Amino acid sequence: MMSALKRPLKRLLAIRGIGQVLTVTVGLILLCIVFGIMNPIFFSSRNVANLLRQIAPILLIGIGQSYVLITGNIDLSIGSVVGMSTMISATLMTKGVSPLFAVLITIICCLALGLSNGLLVSFAKLPPFIATLGTMTIARGIAQIANNNYNTDSIGESAQSFRDFFYYGKTLGLYNTIWIAILLWIVFNFLLTRTKSGRHIYAIGSNAEAARLSGVNIVGTTTKAYLVSAFVSCVVGLITTATSGMGTMDAGNSYELYAVAASVIGGVSTLGGQGLLFGTVIGASIWGVLQNGLQFAGAPVAIRNIVIGIIVVVSVLLDVIVRSGKMTKKKPV
Amino acid sequence: MKKLSVLLLVLLLAGAMFAQGTKESSAFKVYLITMDQMDQHWVNVDKGAQKAAQELGGIEYKWLAPDVKDDAKQIESINNAVAGGADAILLAANGPNAVTAALKEATEAGVTIVYVDSAANFPAVQTLATDNTAAGTTAGKEMLKALTDKGIKNGKIGVISVNSATASTVARETGFRKAFEGTAFTILETQYCDGDAARSKDMSANFITQGVVGLFGANEGSTVGVGNAIAEAGKNIIGVGFDKSDMILSLIKSGHLLATMAQNPDVMGYEGVKTAYKALKGETVSPDYFDTGVSVLTKATL
Repeated sequence: MMSALKRPLKRLLAIRGIGQVLTVTVGLILLCIVFGIMNPIFFSSRNVANLLRQIAPILLIGIGQSYVLITGNIDLSIGSVVGMSTMISATLMTKGVSPLFAVLITIICCLALGLSNGLLVSFAKLPPFIATLGTMTIARGIAQIANNNYNTDSIGESAQSFRDFFYYGKTLGLYNTIWIAILLWIVFNFLLTRTKSGRHIYAIGSNAEAARLSGVNIVGTTTKAYLVSAFVSCVVGLITTATSGMGTMDAGNSYELYAVAASVIGGVSTLGGQGLLFGTVIGASIWGVLQNGLQFAGAPVAIRNIVIGIIVVVSVLLDVIVRSGKMTKKKPV
Repeated sequence: MKKLSVLLLVLLLAGAMFAQGTKESSAFKVYLITMDQMDQHWVNVDKGAQKAAQELGGIEYKWLAPDVKDDAKQIESINNAVAGGADAILLAANGPNAVTAALKEATEAGVTIVYVDSAANFPAVQTLATDNTAAGTTAGKEMLKALTDKGIKNGKIGVISVNSATASTVARETGFRKAFEGTAFTILETQYCDGDAARSKDMSANFITQGVVGLFGANEGSTVGVGNAIAEAGKNIIGVGFDKSDMILSLIKSGHLLATMAQNPDVMGYEGVKTAYKALKGETVSPDYFDTGVSVLTKATL
């Protein structure tokens, strides 16, 4: 029986980057057990449903940040795009625009910002930290002027279908938000693992110069990654509008960092070229479980921040140690 | 050519000094410095201040604020105001001790300080604010009354606030907890949402899962989240909050929030400018503390 399992198991373990993913999966399970013991309400069906819905937005922005990190860059504008998205969509809806049109216009605006990010980094060759820092500020500014420096009014009764679609509604027993996250993950994971563009994304992150010499379109591929990031941030902004029923100018504050945390915990390397989108699922889940479980455990906020910070640092450390270990390991002759 | 340019330079300098001189004697420069530019609360303080400046005349008024709440940025704003020749500063301090060094320099430069909304640990002419502790207690009492009217004498209560540092929201929470002293209710560990309505909603939903009978939001964003969570849960939970906005009012009308404590930021700005004017004219100002109060908004009062 063991020999029958050995081959697929070996294939699983040979996937680049699977080590950390397996480690954090075990970590996630342990975390859930600990929180469940501390307060059994954690496992109640009500909380599980809420928890999954709380994880969904983190997973979405995690997908975007993972795409960008794998190319060897970073996207600091994610949180501001979430804010921009919620303000534009909410402002339009309060002014009587139909939810469908509001969503379309919002997506176009956010993709425009994603395009700018991609071109600034790959075409103008600005360091990604600086470029996305700039667009982060611009996007936050747009979020502020969208409704003339006010938070918006309520998007009203007519937007109830919008609110149900993105947040309050359930399909087949799961909240729509969860379905949105699952479906988008399936799409973006497919694009990343089974298409040429996806392989190019890994290639640029591994060795940009080699990729370029092999004929990979650096500008096109980098821009695609930033467009993905902007798109998922836009979706999270729409989910936020649906949650609150209004647009707040400081929505999404610091989300880019949560996205980095989810990616990094899940094994995506900050050095580029490595990472599995499934890891991002685990990373986002750990983040969500911590936020949720620590509230049930009655932990003060300071403890929560310290715990999360330590986990992020340890994850990055693991990645760096493993990577440097692999490079010095000598192959048997 | 050289003589001409020297002459021009001297004329320019003289003109500048002369212009400065006429400006100084005609109007008092009053700056409003708030925590950020985004919250509708500060926009209303500014509106009230503008109104007073227009009514009184002889005041050159300006609103300065960082884009986000940040101590270093607020210190910079204060320094900019002093450098810009401010005669008086109306300040909503980020925290009790965060900006005192900048205030010390300002007073040494002869600037009059008036606190609006949040005071700092530094002497000033007057503080115009909501007595946040008292307002928090009022909110607590409203919730307590509603619970006892329903025959509920004990249970858990959840609090969503902004963060652990902002004096105003901390005071509201303290006041709220005071109202429940000696009762059989337990108030759980406060959750902080940074004023983000969506995060507040998640935290409120978690509280509801824990079986709370009441929820308190300490500012606008927190309150919106509380109301949305109660609406979704469909349970008969008493929600009380702070601040006034279109969304909060609609949640009260639909019955998902019991009441909100509406502050009077426009009064803070209006009376604050009037106080600054009095002080600059050399008149005595009293009292030291001007409670601009809260109105309790419920379905009945709307």
